[in-house]
Amino acid sequence: MTAPILQFRGITKHFPGVTALADVSFDIAPGECHAIVGENGAGKSTLGKIVSGIHRADGGRILLRGREVAFRTPREATDAGVKVVHQELAFCPNLSVAENLCLGDMPRSRGRLCWRAMGERARKMLGQVGLDVDPWTVMGSLSTGQEQLAQIAAAVGGEADIIIMDEPTSSLSQAEAEKLFTLIEALNRDGITILYVSHRLEEIMRLTERVTVLRDGQYVETLVTSQTTTDEIVRLMIGRSVEDYFPEHVDRPPAEALLAVKGLTSPGKFRDVSFTIRSGEIVGLAGLVGAGRSEVARAIFGIDSFTEGSIDFGGRPLAIRSPRDAISQGIGLLPEDRKRQGLVLSMTCRENVSLSLLRRLKRLHLLDHRRDRALAEEYFDRLNVRAPDVDADIATLSGGNQQKLALAKWLAQQCRVLILDEPTRGVDIGAKVEIHSLIDRLATQGHGILLISSELPEILNLSTRIIVLADGHITGELARQEADQASLMRLMMNVNA
Amino acid sequence: MRQSRILSFFRAKEAGLVAVILVLGLLLTVFGGTVQRKVRDPKTGAVVSMVETNKFLQRQNLDIIFKHSSWTAIMAVGATALIISGGIDLSIGSIYCLAAVTGAMFLRWLGPEGPYPSASAAWVVPLGIIVTLLMGSLCGLANGLMIVGLRVHPFIVTLGTMSVFRGIAFVTTRAQAITDYPPEFGHFFRHTVFDFTLVPIVMVLLVAAAGSVFLRHTVTGRYVYAVGGSETASLFSGISVGRIRVAVFTIAGLAGGIAAIICLGIYGSADSSTGRSYELDVIAAAVVGGASLSGGRGSAIGAVLGALVIQLISNGILILGIDQNYTEIIKGAVIILAVVLDQLGASLNRRRLLKT
Repeated sequence: MTAPILQFRGITKHFPGVTALADVSFDIAPGECHAIVGENGAGKSTLGKIVSGIHRADGGRILLRGREVAFRTPREATDAGVKVVHQELAFCPNLSVAENLCLGDMPRSRGRLCWRAMGERARKMLGQVGLDVDPWTVMGSLSTGQEQLAQIAAAVGGEADIIIMDEPTSSLSQAEAEKLFTLIEALNRDGITILYVSHRLEEIMRLTERVTVLRDGQYVETLVTSQTTTDEIVRLMIGRSVEDYFPEHVDRPPAEALLAVKGLTSPGKFRDVSFTIRSGEIVGLAGLVGAGRSEVARAIFGIDSFTEGSIDFGGRPLAIRSPRDAISQGIGLLPEDRKRQGLVLSMTCRENVSLSLLRRLKRLHLLDHRRDRALAEEYFDRLNVRAPDVDADIATLSGGNQQKLALAKWLAQQCRVLILDEPTRGVDIGAKVEIHSLIDRLATQGHGILLISSELPEILNLSTRIIVLADGHITGELARQEADQASLMRLMMNVNA
Repeated sequence: MRQSRILSFFRAKEAGLVAVILVLGLLLTVFGGTVQRKVRDPKTGAVVSMVETNKFLQRQNLDIIFKHSSWTAIMAVGATALIISGGIDLSIGSIYCLAAVTGAMFLRWLGPEGPYPSASAAWVVPLGIIVTLLMGSLCGLANGLMIVGLRVHPFIVTLGTMSVFRGIAFVTTRAQAITDYPPEFGHFFRHTVFDFTLVPIVMVLLVAAAGSVFLRHTVTGRYVYAVGGSETASLFSGISVGRIRVAVFTIAGLAGGIAAIICLGIYGSADSSTGRSYELDVIAAAVVGGASLSGGRGSAIGAVLGALVIQLISNGILILGIDQNYTEIIKGAVIILAVVLDQLGASLNRRRLLKT
């Protein structure tokens, strides 16, 4: 075997509250197409970001052609021949396609921009990926798929030895993806190394030579693609022992239906989504990133509108036009993005807890600060929040404590239906255990809970039953007894293996 | 608990502003020098003797400072609420002007030179005040409705209404100054106690108190901070973000109306160039007073203190005998310096918190 072009040696990366990568080591051979797979949060994207200079590793070494490198900026990585196609689109939408493609290195002649050279170069780059648009079109007017192809063009067009593709097909149509696959095969023939980060197994089986599996930030195994099966990869991806920190599950007798969603449809996001949440039930909503889980939650909570379908609450049809309507009916949503949607970071803990029920804390038209404080203190106690005091700025708390307070907001509201979107994302293990047992306790008390989570063990161990979404529609519903990681994963990827 | 509240005030930025004002005052007292002041006989009004007094620390000078900062201070309280919510109002100077002109025209109509010379001042004056306040609020409401309804950035909308409101004032007055309203109006506002013009000072205190209660002790006030801190999180918390934004623009307009009343009382006239470029003084006062243009931070007391600081600087240039032509340069530099120092303090504070 030839000397590896890229070597990872003990790569470690921590983010506040979580370890994204722990001591990851493996090699990439020159000219191969190497897949990196894993569940959401396994550390695949983080690894790609470290190689391309967006993040810096906390520990470990990266060797490029045998020489140690530590890129501090994406520019340094690009100069060394490492290019990346990001999952999130990274373009200036106000500039033209040509300007975006040449952004790092605008062609100049005698100090002035050379528009003609720019146009020619862009046309050539677009030709390579088979994207048929005028280079002077404004970037923002392209479709997501076209934009993604343009980004691939930007990476391919330069002189790259290694191209990292992070979920390159996530917003491509079947035909566009097909073009991309042909391109990848051509690049491979030209001796360019490709790191293919994805959780779409069919693509991996078709394109790659080897597959490296990551799980919870740890290296699991590298397999030769032709000698393995999708089943084996799935098994390795989810193969952790079921954590024993989940609360004992008690099956409760079915109670009255609280929330019934019927035929909910919003074009481009989800279609014909129907389910019921009963009192005392935790309904898991599983699906890959982009399957439409959060979008369904936002529609129920009145943030986004939907074109068809209805929502019944306690047997009565509900007209929810804003979150305020939803809250007044007793529905609470713990949003997926705690820092942007869940909390007002410029405020104190106390102000955040009472934000959604201030109207009830009035005395003679003025805020009753005593009750406001008492409320926050009560939830500090009940949820075991670790912070100096209730007047501490919420931004100074750890992720886990912040999340407890984001939850406290809805508990204080006495919401009967709680939609929890990734309740333990970016939360340390201790707080995670506490949040899990809290969720279970809430169900026991008669709340109805819709649990959205990308962590399969969390869904499997907490839910009474599990609904699976893929590409915006329900692909299956599993009772607690019949659900396991493999069956869920198959439904999530919508493969009937 | 009570003690901690007092302590937290001294840690707060208002205390820093009070310190700045005291230091500025002390410097001006020491370096300002003295001036000969005439002492008049209280009965005849004839000059009896000359007394040497401190140029800065004397009643007339302090009265000028308070009087001249009063309208900026009042508008700055409104602007602070607005800035906390993440908005900005460039039209506040024009609102002030339009409200003053409207009030003046109304008062002239019911005044001694108008068609109803017999109307009693006892109800003409309050009515004039109400009309002025109403006009200010309406302008603010119009700003807010356009910003929320048309989804246009506040900077753009108020840049437009800045010239629209002043233009309306220009057209309706036919570029004439409006005077000739009941003399009782001016007497009331120019009434002095120990050489201090009482009414503007009391009005500033009342507005500061009302603003403080609104921002700290009402539900809507808390929502204002939340919307400025994060519009998305506010929406997810069930706050009607649009309604709050319209409300703060209306409040800012109302503050413009209150300030306009003082203008009418003190100057005894209003025209279409009244309050030109006041919006910049008002925003500067709010920012020096601790309001963050990125939203979520600021206080009513801070706004009043900020207005005082700015007035002190203008006054100091006069007292110290610095060339008047440098006023604008010094004022501008001080505003930038104040905000830089504030940010420095905030980042030091954060570092201290992270260490513990």
